[in-house]
Amino acid sequence: MKDMALGWRTPPPVSKPAAVRRVGLGYEGILLGIVILLVGAISLGSQGNFWNPSNITSVLVNTAITAVPAAGMTLVIVTGGIDVSIGSVVGFTATVAGLAFENHWALAEAVPVVLVTGALAGLLNALAITRGKVPPIITTLGTMSIWRAVVYALLGGNWITQVPIGLTNLFVLDKVFGIPWSFILAMGLVLLLTYVTRSRPFGRFVYAIGNNEEAAEVSGLPVNFVKLLVYTLLGLLTAVSALMMLGQSPLIQATTGTGFELTVIAAVVLGGTSILGGRGSIVGSFLGSMLVQLTSDGVILFHIQPFWEGVVSGLMILIAVFISLLNRREESR
Amino acid sequence: MALLELRGIHKSFGGIQALRDVSVTIELGRVHAIVGENGAGKSTLIKLMMGVLTPDAGEIRLDGQPVVLQNPAHAKALGFAAVYQEPLIYPHLTVLENIFIARPMRKRWGGLDRNAMVERIGPIFERLDLSLDLLFKPMRELRLGYQQMVLIAQALVYDSRLILFDEPTSILSGTETDHLFEIIRYLRRAGKAVVYISHRLEELLAVADEATVLTDGRMVGHVDREGLNPDDLLTMMMGKAMREYRKAPLTVEAGHSGDRPPLLSVTGWSKPGMFEDVNFQLWPGEVLGFYGQVGAGRSEVAQSLFGYFKPDRGEATLNGKRLMPKNPAAAIRAGLGYVPEDRKLQGIFGSQSITNNMISVVLPKLVGRLARVRPLAVTEMVERYTKALNIKIGALSDTILSLSGGGQQKVVLSRWMAEDLKVLILDEPTRGIDVPTKRDLHELIRELAARGLGVIVISSDLPEVMAVSSRLIVMNRGRVVASYDAVRDSLAEDVLRAAIGLDRRQGEDVL
Amino acid sequence: MRGRSAIWRPLADQYGLLALVLLVSISVANAISPGILSLTNFSAMTTFGVEIGLLAFGETVIILGGGGGIDLSVGSMFAVSQVVVAVLVQQGADIWLGIAAGIASGVIMGSINGWLVTRVRIPAIITTLATMYAYSGTALLLTNGIDISNFPAAFNVFGQGMVLGLPFQFVAVYVPVAIILWFVLTKTLYGYRLYLTGTNQTAAILSGIDIHRVRMGAYVLTGLLCSLAGIIDASRLATARPDAGLSANLEAITIAVLGGTSIFGGRGTIGGTIMATLVITLLGYSFSLANINSVIETGTVGLILIAVVLGQHFVRRWTAAVSPRRS
Repeated sequence: MKDMALGWRTPPPVSKPAAVRRVGLGYEGILLGIVILLVGAISLGSQGNFWNPSNITSVLVNTAITAVPAAGMTLVIVTGGIDVSIGSVVGFTATVAGLAFENHWALAEAVPVVLVTGALAGLLNALAITRGKVPPIITTLGTMSIWRAVVYALLGGNWITQVPIGLTNLFVLDKVFGIPWSFILAMGLVLLLTYVTRSRPFGRFVYAIGNNEEAAEVSGLPVNFVKLLVYTLLGLLTAVSALMMLGQSPLIQATTGTGFELTVIAAVVLGGTSILGGRGSIVGSFLGSMLVQLTSDGVILFHIQPFWEGVVSGLMILIAVFISLLNRREESR
Repeated sequence: MALLELRGIHKSFGGIQALRDVSVTIELGRVHAIVGENGAGKSTLIKLMMGVLTPDAGEIRLDGQPVVLQNPAHAKALGFAAVYQEPLIYPHLTVLENIFIARPMRKRWGGLDRNAMVERIGPIFERLDLSLDLLFKPMRELRLGYQQMVLIAQALVYDSRLILFDEPTSILSGTETDHLFEIIRYLRRAGKAVVYISHRLEELLAVADEATVLTDGRMVGHVDREGLNPDDLLTMMMGKAMREYRKAPLTVEAGHSGDRPPLLSVTGWSKPGMFEDVNFQLWPGEVLGFYGQVGAGRSEVAQSLFGYFKPDRGEATLNGKRLMPKNPAAAIRAGLGYVPEDRKLQGIFGSQSITNNMISVVLPKLVGRLARVRPLAVTEMVERYTKALNIKIGALSDTILSLSGGGQQKVVLSRWMAEDLKVLILDEPTRGIDVPTKRDLHELIRELAARGLGVIVISSDLPEVMAVSSRLIVMNRGRVVASYDAVRDSLAEDVLRAAIGLDRRQGEDVL
Repeated sequence: MRGRSAIWRPLADQYGLLALVLLVSISVANAISPGILSLTNFSAMTTFGVEIGLLAFGETVIILGGGGGIDLSVGSMFAVSQVVVAVLVQQGADIWLGIAAGIASGVIMGSINGWLVTRVRIPAIITTLATMYAYSGTALLLTNGIDISNFPAAFNVFGQGMVLGLPFQFVAVYVPVAIILWFVLTKTLYGYRLYLTGTNQTAAILSGIDIHRVRMGAYVLTGLLCSLAGIIDASRLATARPDAGLSANLEAITIAVLGGTSIFGGRGTIGGTIMATLVITLLGYSFSLANINSVIETGTVGLILIAVVLGQHFVRRWTAAVSPRRS
């Protein structure tokens, strides 16, 4: 319907009650509340098993593994795009890492190569999207199968388990105040990107493009450049996540990372980012990642059939989107 | 001092000449009004100035030097700013971010310096009488009028030299309009060049230093402050009303003569903010013209009658039965038809064939066994109406985009031919269409009425409504301000005055 | 100049480019595994193509309806319906009852998707992402995550039977479904309305079309097709797998788009989807004959997908530049 609010009879400058705005800001608050409740419920229900150090470590590392690419995915979705190829990029970068390790590369040599590989995968997506005008969903559907095929071509049915312990130490075992480095890295990234999105021109461009791409073009914002950077960053962060996964479980096989894209997208959507672009927050996606990992941890600790996890995730996504939809309807009134 | 000169500008779209030999000089420290009816070429002119379009012929000079405006960003960089009727905004970003997005102020390490931005915008907001609290609200929470103000503030921050207003008051209240005028006067004092586009003469008289009148893409006059009087402007705008359309005698006696009950009767039809307390009746066999400027609420009345959205209050009866369709499908079943205003966005099915475009409404009637759309019935129907409507086509399987605007409109219209219609509403049926096709369409409208249909023609083309209507209603700002039971050429000036809001009292007296 | 554009223009057309791709893939297939184009091989190939082909039909119909329509849950519906049949049959229900229940489950899942998209107005990509999780979880729950494989022999016919020397599911399901869908999309009221809705939603509403009902129909139909494919899959492998079809979610979309269905709705044909299914099956079969992993085949398809869409973009731009279109 034509939105025609020709309200020449209602004078106040602000047309919607301020209360509505608070809901938008408060979504992260609600999420945090849910996370805390969930932690409480799980620790009560698991008779303290939740607080077992190895369980805590695993939850934190898993959260980091999801949250790092989720931060990049948030930016991509905020510009109005999407990337379903990251599961395969995880597989691909992990394979590159594995092959390097097999050839006895040092960590300091292998890691940069892996990161550059991830960034290049993202850049390729971005080029097809900005130069070739291929819709993001199609581009990344394509590259999803391409990278997976490359992984098979490189690995076949073989496994690589030869992951240097340094990686495990780095991301999982070494801790500061009981918190693994991967989680600290993830939090650092969240802080950095929160700063960038809120206080750097580039960050605001990301949102501006998702809000109104036409206006962004008209005002001369570097639309294509921003998109290029955002997809490339996501590729890079995906490579980081792949390295963390290897630290967590040193096994690389042809299926590594399969379905990971959906976990990450689910975390971002749970975090309140609109799939239509223009709004969303890095912190929200971080909390969304936490929620996803807590749920699956709870399922394990409660000895619930693991199959419930899917049903619960699905319902969580629907409920989260429904809530944000209600908010938006209120606003557009 | 001349800032911007347009000389001998020509621009055409697909055979329709939007601007012919238009020359305008915009000077610093003056408000230059561009006047004309909808479709006169005003919006094309703005787009040329803002670098959205480039002229086919002619020259644009900035500070005396020829310049080619490559794109809107370029125009902005040269110091041009535009405040459109529906502002281009980033709804989820704050007001402050909206203002500074393209040229942010930064701290030493490159971070956004919001304090500096607030400091910079502060005096401007004060000048514009805007509260600083607004700066941190998301843009979407502001009413349209305030969004405009924000864009004006942006133009001032960017130190734009030329600020262009495109029908800015159509969404403003009376006090807001007064406020805007004060701002415009301030801009003039500050030495900016202001281009003000409107169809509301009284407003122009209030702010303009000079005015250029456009009619059908031609410049028909330019007057200075001294020459700015409503009668002269009106006469220039009217120039058009006197020509062009031939009138056919109405075959059915129009109006309420006799005791026939009305076909469609609407009372108290209201949706605050769009239209209020609209009352009218429509008899079979007549063409009722709905005249008024864009934004007067005419299309919204039509769309709500057609079930596209609901009015808040009001009653309507069609053929004595209550009419309150819950969707267009129900309206069609009740015997209503609607040809929308925006052909491209609401009318045509772009990538579909001409055939499919013609049958979209009658589809259910062409269905045979197995829910199959009978090809013979389709062919027969399509051939009949291409012939009847004189639509020139290559092949029926070509997409509708292969037709000219006029051809497309005929196809859209043909959808309703096979329906058992009682009332057909045509919203701006000839916008952007060449004159011969316009004549065809007018003829067709009269024929439809002659068949006993009630036809409503919504148009902001005065000569058009004068030519096709047997009765006439004028709307302004959501209300019916005048109605005429007979249409004579001598009424043209009256009608225009009412629609422009010059003599609203007079119009209301008629009711 | 004109001659050049005339030569290239067919490639901007959906079938033109696709036919080229098909030709290339036939010669590639022939090169990889010579003699692939024999009749026996054709019969074997059809076995592979039927299931994904049915899912791709569903995807095509949903994407055609426009408004961002897409279904990420087809693979999950595929899994649920085969598991439903298996669980019921295992517990002694009649085969036909089981099949009816399997089909009903597909229709119900499709309706849930459709309801969420058209009534609750949750974007399709999110809705079906969520239901993909939920349905997959349901399939696992129904069987405790275990494969079920003790079907009565009578059940085998749906995936292993032969008719006229060709697989049962090809002759008795795929071909009739293709014909019916072709008929529905091109000849019936629903088909016309689907294309119109996908092309311009506002114009469709103003033409009296109930676009929500049209789109709802597409989701329900897709649920139905997924259940048919799921039942065939269980019968073919004599096993119902709750984790079947995981990769099918995205593969079905790939086929639909490769077949020329525009992601923005309103453009695409059943014929195109059939051709794309053929390309994929052909490659898959020849790759498997040559002992190349099916994932490599999927990767090749991904490459083709991007190449085709890119190619269309550039060919269109080029031909438009050579001979400007009338506006």
